[in-house]
Amino acid sequence: MNKRLDLPLIAWLTIIWMLLWSGVTWGNLISGVVVAVILCLVFPLPPVAMELRLRPLGILRLAGYLVYDMVASSVEVTRLALRGKRRPAAVVRVPLRCRTDLMIAATAVAVSSVPGGALVEVNAGTATLYLHLSGADDPAVVARARRDVWQLEALAVRAFGTREEIERVQAAPVDGKAPQP
Amino acid sequence: MNWTAAADLAGAVLLLLGAATCLTGVIGMLRLRDVLTRSSAATNPQTFGMMLLLAGLALRLRTGVDAGTLVLVAFFQLLTSAVAAHLVARVAYRTGAADASALLYDELGEDTEH
Repeated sequence: MNKRLDLPLIAWLTIIWMLLWSGVTWGNLISGVVVAVILCLVFPLPPVAMELRLRPLGILRLAGYLVYDMVASSVEVTRLALRGKRRPAAVVRVPLRCRTDLMIAATAVAVSSVPGGALVEVNAGTATLYLHLSGADDPAVVARARRDVWQLEALAVRAFGTREEIERVQAAPVDGKAPQP
Repeated sequence: MNWTAAADLAGAVLLLLGAATCLTGVIGMLRLRDVLTRSSAATNPQTFGMMLLLAGLALRLRTGVDAGTLVLVAFFQLLTSAVAAHLVARVAYRTGAADASALLYDELGEDTEH
């Protein structure tokens, strides 16, 4: 019984509960803890290797880049919407350097805000992302999309990763197979 | 002009900007032709518009607890819209709605065949 009680998760749920009830009061705190404990007992989560570190500077840099990326992405979509021309697309493989599930997930979430690319598949076993890119007839577009993913990966790992993972993303990315014509 | 009036004005501008950004997302959804670009039109500008709306709201509400709740909303919006976009793209690809014949090349297809 005791093993299932994940204390950081209970703390996090209690904070959410108090924010939803708009106030830090003893009543909210106690009812929040009760609800969180019941939730954890009724819906136990599978154990996840929580190799998570919170690095404030890295998180700030990641957030800054994401905001910039979101603005760029919105502008791009608006431009496409007003022009309405279709460009040839392709599904491109991007092998990642990080290995833990959590870092792959963080990178995948970050990549979803990349302009012009849709995340089609994530293979956690091989740590590979597959992106649907429009304008793939231009090799420069594909190369830039790959570089963007690797940069987001490095930013995400520097924000949340263990030291071991950070060392891994400092290495040069291993390129996938050459795209077929 | 004092600080509260300035914050109210900045909040109002952000609310308008956010609404306009959400509108461009909707126009994109109507104008674009295929599932994947439509899905990115539905998620990216919408999320960004939502962030602007939340920032505008925070400037108008100006209380710590409300700001905390708004940060929470922004956090879950970022996480869920990314997951939703990925699921739509994945289903579109797997059911062929993404128009596989129009692809120049398909490295996922290569990797899953072998």
